[in-house]
Order: sequence, then C-alpha cells, then structure tokens
Amino acid sequence: MQVLGIPVENGRRALCWKLLLNYLPPSRLAWDEALDGQRCAYRRFVREMVVRPGGAAGGSAAARVDVTEHDHPLSDQPNSQWQTFFKDNDVLGQIDKDVRRLCPDISFFQQPTEFPCQEVVCGDYHERLHERVQRVYLDSASVCRVGLGMQTKVDAKRRQQEHDYVALPGGQEAHWEVVERILFIYAKLNPGQSYVQGMNEIVGPIYYTFASNPDARWREHAEADTFGVFTNLMSEIRDFFIKTLDDSHSGINFRLRLLMERLHHHDPHLAVRLKVQQLYPQYFAFRWMTLLLSQEFTLPDVIRIWDSLFADEKRFDFLTEVCCAMMIQVREQLMSGDFAHNMKLLQNYPPLEIRTVLAKAEWLLSR
Amino acid sequence: MSYAYLFKYIIIGDTGVGKSCLLLQFTDKRFQPVHDLTIGVEFGARMITIDGKQVKLQIWDTAGQEAFRSITRSYYRGAAGALLVYDITRRDTFNHLTTWLEDARQHSNSNMVIMLIGNKSDLESRRDVKREEGEAFAREHGLIFMETSAKTAANVEEAFINTAKEIYEKIQEGVFDINNEANGIKLGPQHSPAAAGGMAAGGLGGSQGGGCC
Repeated sequence: MQVLGIPVENGRRALCWKLLLNYLPPSRLAWDEALDGQRCAYRRFVREMVVRPGGAAGGSAAARVDVTEHDHPLSDQPNSQWQTFFKDNDVLGQIDKDVRRLCPDISFFQQPTEFPCQEVVCGDYHERLHERVQRVYLDSASVCRVGLGMQTKVDAKRRQQEHDYVALPGGQEAHWEVVERILFIYAKLNPGQSYVQGMNEIVGPIYYTFASNPDARWREHAEADTFGVFTNLMSEIRDFFIKTLDDSHSGINFRLRLLMERLHHHDPHLAVRLKVQQLYPQYFAFRWMTLLLSQEFTLPDVIRIWDSLFADEKRFDFLTEVCCAMMIQVREQLMSGDFAHNMKLLQNYPPLEIRTVLAKAEWLLSR
Repeated sequence: MSYAYLFKYIIIGDTGVGKSCLLLQFTDKRFQPVHDLTIGVEFGARMITIDGKQVKLQIWDTAGQEAFRSITRSYYRGAAGALLVYDITRRDTFNHLTTWLEDARQHSNSNMVIMLIGNKSDLESRRDVKREEGEAFAREHGLIFMETSAKTAANVEEAFINTAKEIYEKIQEGVFDINNEANGIKLGPQHSPAAAGGMAAGGLGGSQGGGCC
C-alpha cells in the first residue's frame, strides 16, 4: 500500500484512510456501531455549536442573549457568553477567510454539496457561520464618522464576497462551507489549540476524498467522517501547530533537525552544501512537513502521497524520507545553484513524476 | 548576475492583507487573486538599479498569523528593510500595526528602514482606513508611507525601490556598517572588503584583535 498507493475504485481509498487513521475499528463487524456513534456525536456538535450556540437561547447571541448586569458585551468575566461569542467570531473570521482560499486550482470547493446540513440550510431561526462573521464585521464597520460627530451608514452591500467563493442561495451549501463548519467545531472542541492556519490544507484533501466517494452511502456522511478522521490525524501532528512545542521532541524543529540528519546520512555532499549556503530547513521544509506536503503538489498527487504517509506504521518516518527524496531528486540543480536559486527551487518544487519521488523515498527508507 | 549590494527585506503584517501578492507583483509582475496561504516564509529576489548601481533585493515574505510569529521573529534580525502592510479595506489590520511595529523594533537592528504600506488601493469603494490616517501613523512613528495595489501594480515598484533608496542613502551617510551582515546588507563580489582593501580580508574575525569586546 505504501509503495503502490490505494486504488480509488469503489471508494477503497476513502475506506483505507478511515482504517489507517483509526476512525474505523479493524473488525468489520464493529463498523456500523462505530460509525453510528461517531456520526451521531458530530450531529450533536453541529447542533450545539452551529445551529443553536449557547443552548436554548438560540442562534445569534446578539439577538437572543439578554443584556443583564451579570453579562453584557463589555463583560470581562471568563464565563461571559458575550466573551465567548466574540472570541468565537475571531476564530471564525480567520477560518472563513482561509477556507475561501482552499485549493484555488480546482473548482470543487466552490461547487454545491449534494448533502448540505439540513438543520443549517433549512432552519429558520439561525444564521450560517459565514453570515455570522460577516454580520459582526459589518456591525463594527458599517458606521463611519463624517465631520464632527456626524455618522453615516456605509452601504453594506459594498462588501462583496471573495471572488468565486460565494455562499450559495437557500437550501444549498458549497463544499467550502462544509469545511468551514468542520474546522470551527474542531476549534471549539480544542480551545487550547483552536484554529491555526494550515489546518485548512490538512482537512481539504480528506474532505475531497470522502465527498467524491463513488458510493453515495459513504458520500452522504463525508462531513462527519472527515471530522473524525481529521481529528485523529491532528492528534498525531498537532504539535507541529503549537508554537510553544516547536522545540519539543514532537515539535516541528525536532522533525526538521531529524530531516537534515537523514539527508546527511543519504547524501552528505548535498547536506553540507545546503548548510554552507545557510539554506536552513525552516525556510522550506517547515511548510513541507507541517502541511504533509499538501501545498507542494497538485491535489491528485497529494492524495497519492498521503496513501503512503497514512500507511506508514511509524508515522511520520516515511514523510522524512519523502522530503529527503525530493531534495535528492533535484540535487544537480541544488549543487550548482546559488542561494536564491535554490530557495526558489525548494519553495516552488518542480512538477516531477510523483511515483519516482515515492519510489526513491521507499529506497531511502530501507537504507 | 553580479551586484554591488544585496539588501534583505522582510514583509510583515496581518494575514490576508496581500503580502504575498505584493511580492509576486514585484518579482514576477503578475497578480494571483486567490493566493495559497503562506505557511512559514516565502522567498523572492529581484535586481534593481539605484544610483547606477545594481542592487539585489532578497525578500522574505512571512505568514501573518500569530501562531507563526515565533518563526517570523528570526527573520527580523538579518533585515535591512521591512515592508509593514495593512489592508485599507480592513480597519483591524490597521489597528494591529502598533503590535507589529513593536515586534519589529524589538527584534531587528535599530537602523532597519520600515515602509508602511496601505495595500488594496484599487478597492476605493470599500475603503475603511483613510489615506490621511496612514500618513499620520507613519509620521508619528518615523516610517515612509505609500498606498499600493498589488492587483493593478500601482506603486508596487515604488514601494520596494524607495525603501532601497532609503537604505542606500543610509549607507552613504555611514549609518549602516556594511561589513556586518547582521544589518541585512551584503557587498557584491566586486565590492567585497578584500577587494576594497579593507582590514577584514579573509574574514578571520578573530585575528583582527578588535577593541569591540
């Protein structure tokens, strides 16, 4: 599996990823129960955090939470619902911007999903996540000062959506909206870590794979399944996204040091060359490893690479070897290029045949 | 290609203000409406001419999100110039300038030239920060100021080149120690200290017996 990749037919790839990332138990008999449990839990999260945040009080806090002497918009009490509301919206605003920048090369994420979340698109008393942040931005920005104390309303409609990533009309949802919900719920459930840029690039390929499963019975649950698999994957790479852990054993700097040690082991001349040029792995491999190479290749290639990464029992040793292979594949250029040339080469990796890179990595792993 | 000077720049500011687009417009003369998120840093380089001399600009474009700041800080150190960018259609990005500036001043060398840039000037109808406010902020903090559009390329060349001119002038005035690479300035091969007959020949710093300890 690690060498050959997983065939996409009959949704095998999607199924394998669920198994490899422990979303599904090994025993087939236990699948139904596990899936029911996970999907049910996700539905509950959606209801509590998206459809009716704050419990029975309902949809948007601004409209429904009472302003009392105990809780009001300027309250600095940590348990203030208003505090939570504003903090959530900061996170949501960031997610909203990032999911609209997801995989711009393909149109998939702008397309409507066949399976929108019914409670979200058909409910009548709530607002959708992206509306929630838009409204908040408007509230703070729609009034501008003219002259001495005179105020006037700015035309709300002037604030357009970003290009093609528009929200779809009633009853429909674009795939990016689904991803936005997944990330928001993840951030709410993991407040210590919240949302960090780059998580969108991790969730994107998983959701794409599940939402394009040829089998509609699986496709229907792409959102909940993506959430579960993404959560499990994040538990393994979470430390890459936590800056205070950068130098810990599980943090990114440690992985980067390991990468250069492996490169030195495989190709000492190349490793020394990069060191002399002061071309540190932080400059290029930081992104490679944090995002599991998702920004370096086209989506089909990324998915193919992930087959191998997920199949790696000692995650993520194979990732280290793939990164080494990438450098060694362009070693001739690196050995002759100057610093600027090499930086550009490694930050804009050429579209090489992915099978060759993976075969090389496989060979390196055995050394 | 050989150069007389090499200047290192860093581009900083909130996420989504157009840092990567400014770099792309300057180095490749093109605009990409939806740009990949910058994770860590991105690198770009271009040659310009100042006062008849070839100057190579090495530009480090940084990720805007707070979570990446610890990484970003390490890039301040070797920088001669910084472009501090906000988005004229988003007031929050303007409000955060003070934090960015403090960060930059704290971690960079004191002579670093900082250019304040109000980007997205093509979106006049959605403007949220007045030009005068940008000017006032720049005046107050001793920065150069420009409004640019990475989309239409308006003022993009000027922003990068004016910053370089300022650095060049500081070199002429002797403000920058050009033999100290930590200042973000490097002399080109034909201007190297050895060729210029300086004392630092061979770069054997330890043997110079300086009185700087």
